[in-house]
Amino acid sequence: MLGLLVKKQLTEIFRGYFYDAKKNKARSKAATIVLIALFAVLMFGLLGGMFYALAGALAYPLAAYDLGWLYFALMSLIAIVLGLLGSVFTTYAGLYLAKDNDLLLSMPIPVRTIVTARIVGVYLMGLLFSGIVMVPALIAYWKALKPGAAEIIGGIVLLLLVSAIVLALSCLLGYGVARISVKLKNKSYITTVIALVFIGVYYYFYFKAQEKLQEFMSHLDEYTGKLSGSLGFMKTFGEVGEGKAIPVLVSVAVVALLCAVVWLILIRSFTKIATAVDGGTKTVYREKTAKERSLSRTLIAKEMGRFTSSANYMLNCGLFSVLSILAAAALLWKGPEFMPVLQMVFGQMPGAVLVLLTGSICALAGMNDMVVPSVSLEGKSLWIVKSLPVTAWDVLKAKLSVQLRLTLVPTLLCAVCAVIIYKPGAAELILMLLLPVLTVLFGALFGLMLGIRHVNLTWTNELMPIKQSLSVLIYLFAMMAYGAALIGLYFLIGQEIGALWYLTIAGCVIALIDVLLWQWLKTRGVKRFAEL
Amino acid sequence: MLRIEHLTKKYGEKVAVDDLNLHIAPGEIYGFIGHNGAGKTTTLKSAVGILRFDEGEIYIDGVSVKADPLEAKRRLAYIPDNPDLYEFMTGIKYLNFIGDVFKVPAEERKARIHDLAERFKLTADLAQPIASYSHGMKQKLAVISAFLHEPRLILMDEPFVGLDPTAAHLLKQMMRELCDRGGAIFFSTHVLEVAEKLCDKVAIIKNGRLIRSGTMEEVKGDDSLEEVFLELEEK
Repeated sequence: MLGLLVKKQLTEIFRGYFYDAKKNKARSKAATIVLIALFAVLMFGLLGGMFYALAGALAYPLAAYDLGWLYFALMSLIAIVLGLLGSVFTTYAGLYLAKDNDLLLSMPIPVRTIVTARIVGVYLMGLLFSGIVMVPALIAYWKALKPGAAEIIGGIVLLLLVSAIVLALSCLLGYGVARISVKLKNKSYITTVIALVFIGVYYYFYFKAQEKLQEFMSHLDEYTGKLSGSLGFMKTFGEVGEGKAIPVLVSVAVVALLCAVVWLILIRSFTKIATAVDGGTKTVYREKTAKERSLSRTLIAKEMGRFTSSANYMLNCGLFSVLSILAAAALLWKGPEFMPVLQMVFGQMPGAVLVLLTGSICALAGMNDMVVPSVSLEGKSLWIVKSLPVTAWDVLKAKLSVQLRLTLVPTLLCAVCAVIIYKPGAAELILMLLLPVLTVLFGALFGLMLGIRHVNLTWTNELMPIKQSLSVLIYLFAMMAYGAALIGLYFLIGQEIGALWYLTIAGCVIALIDVLLWQWLKTRGVKRFAEL
Repeated sequence: MLRIEHLTKKYGEKVAVDDLNLHIAPGEIYGFIGHNGAGKTTTLKSAVGILRFDEGEIYIDGVSVKADPLEAKRRLAYIPDNPDLYEFMTGIKYLNFIGDVFKVPAEERKARIHDLAERFKLTADLAQPIASYSHGMKQKLAVISAFLHEPRLILMDEPFVGLDPTAAHLLKQMMRELCDRGGAIFFSTHVLEVAEKLCDKVAIIKNGRLIRSGTMEEVKGDDSLEEVFLELEEK
């Protein structure tokens, strides 16, 4: 029975690779292979390559000082944090919010079997993310020191232990979120705030850890003797990677105990949480006269309501709106120190700092993409707007408006802060403000075009259009390329004409593209939307 | 009130509705019956303006759905076979959304919501998110939203599915009241007893083609509607 449920679970997770929801048919073998290869290149090629570079820099010096255990302890910690970050936001949904809970619970299947099958899904996600760190870490270590059988077995055991720890901690956090969610109102906001705090703490420690690591690596002699006695279980755990027998046994026992405790907690609480009807305090309805709104305001309010109703949507598509405040503050705080350094570095290239600042703000603005999945998110409710006396253009304009409102203000905030620290002349000032505005408009129009062209209305989990769709992938890469091109082209060819002319021409080109995109949306976009 | 002329709708090669003609006059409750996949939902969705059709014309109160879709939609309301509403809204927010789109004045809207929600016993749940509603509650909300702007014509796809007996009875009453005021109802159903008791006229569709239509007496004669339907299906 467990095998059957796991198979069903795996089919759901990897459904996108084998089944084209848009065309409602199985993908060809070639398409499946291309998709899997693309995913592998992205995950293991880019992210894995990044961690391989880090691991390569640490492996040899630490091993040379007989600190292989420290190397494995550090890499395991990074893997656990990344694994947690990768899976924690989806663990709650993965464990408890499956649409077939009632169906499975009504069948003669033990609850522990259902929970175990759900856990397999969470485990795979954790294994994927922790593996991105651990596999390159093991390869880098084995490359630095020719490993024996014990080291290879130890390394594999370490990889499994790390993924098991990620699983246990993710499940505990998922359980915690579930317990809170049962009682909360405004879940989406609270989940978003918790997630942002979590990300903030992660980055704080990440940067601190980098500083400490650099300091440690430069004073390796002094620290060598002091460390081994002071890190207790960390040392034992790290020694697993070196293939030492007793640490392997101790670590396996500890991790197994942790997993057993988590498994028991989940089994005991699963039915209650999975079948809980929204347990938040029931809001009492108070009759009042509603304020009448215009059609455009009504549709914008609807889109804004959709955006703020989902923590997944806010976190994945609107992070820039929050980060921009940090970016603006950082510009004002560190800008005065940073500007002379930039001026010194690019002193030989007049206007380079202007292009760098403006281009960076444009690149940041491309991080918001709430408009991209907005058409797909209509899902099965699409009949509502199609049966109401509103035009397709009214609906599309509301979607554009939300992206513009949530991106334009933060972008201008950053641009104004950049202006304050750069102190530009009149022409430069206009360009520093105008270019980001044109970019925000471009992002909104381009994102909506992608959303219409690659629409998927038959999703079963909102994460599919928000996080896993082709349109979102294209948008994010395109906007990254856009930012890189805006800056890179100046250094390649733009210097010849000077920053002012370069940015003016760039602005004209972007404005022209904006006009073309606007026209496309008003004609073909509207037609396509009406045909959905 | 609703005139469908030579409606043809294809999905690729498949003809879902083939040269369909129907006329629903003010004051009529018109039933639409047929087997699964016969073309009932396609016809309803075409009339509402959700689906574009290949041939023919549809007029709502004299307004062409093709030529002036917005004006046509202002005069009608639609209840789908599955009440997939905006789950991120509360019940009252959804009703106000519909009220704003149809420009129902605030005071009138308040009075109508009060009246309709009370009748369907949904008042206490209006501040709850639609996501927390049962299927029946969503169906009630869909019905309330359809009646909110007092449309001249309501098109309903299996409107009684999910409603409890009290709510189903109330809906039948409201359908009759609307028609008595000069409105019209066009609805599909598989419950032939309901159609037989409630409808003034009925149309039977098979494989996209209208095979019989008219007053209930004309269609069924001395037999029951079920007998007539089964006999036509077997042909």
